[in-house]
Amino acid sequence: MLSREQQGLNWLLQWFDPRGRSIGGLAFILNRITALGLVLYLYLHLYYLRQLTMGPQVWNAFIDSAENSPWIGIGELFVIAGGLIHGLNGLRIALNSFNIAVPYQKQLFYGLFTLALIGIAFFAVHMFGA
Amino acid sequence: MQDATAVPKAGENVWLWLTKIISGLIVFVVLTIHLIVNHYVAPEGLFYYDDVINYFKNPLIPIMEGTFLVFVVIHSSLGLRSIILDRNPTQKVMRVVDTVFVVGGLAVIVYGIWLLVYVAGLG
Repeated sequence: MLSREQQGLNWLLQWFDPRGRSIGGLAFILNRITALGLVLYLYLHLYYLRQLTMGPQVWNAFIDSAENSPWIGIGELFVIAGGLIHGLNGLRIALNSFNIAVPYQKQLFYGLFTLALIGIAFFAVHMFGA
Repeated sequence: MQDATAVPKAGENVWLWLTKIISGLIVFVVLTIHLIVNHYVAPEGLFYYDDVINYFKNPLIPIMEGTFLVFVVIHSSLGLRSIILDRNPTQKVMRVVDTVFVVGGLAVIVYGIWLLVYVAGLG
């Protein structure tokens, strides 16, 4: 008999486990993971923007330190990737919700996901390319 | 292809579900405009203090950013609520969750609008 905490952990792990999922299930996981990442980014972004109220020295020093960190660029690319995947997949969900293109939702998912990958590659080259 | 997000789930009022979908579409449109405007108005990116202040001198910018903030908070709160609903919580738990999201969401919107007005006022 699993404890309540173990049951909760299993539920969470199952939620992220991509094995044996249909394409709809994978789209669902992708939508949720990107949503959580984007929410985290949104609140961190709002929190750090408060430094604008502390004057140019504080804000510019913050930007300088961010520019010197390789993690910021990688994080930005993750935000772009999350935004593209969540936004384009969300567009499919919205269309399907209004009964538009329901028989073609698989093709729509593949097409929009490919578009998201192209977008991510474009931004990666733009950000990290020579 | 089954998609659990394309229909309202148990415990999700149809109007909340519709608001989630429509706010998502509005966020998508405003974010696209935001990226295009940023590309043309600030091709080097919004980095240093003076760049940010100059960007906010255009009165349409705070309106666009404010609209984005309101709808992104609505969409994210309803989305997080949907994730919690996956756990089949009791009605009592959902009442607490709803209160936290409404109060927290309003606080974030008020803070964000205050920040926008403050930064726009610096120009």
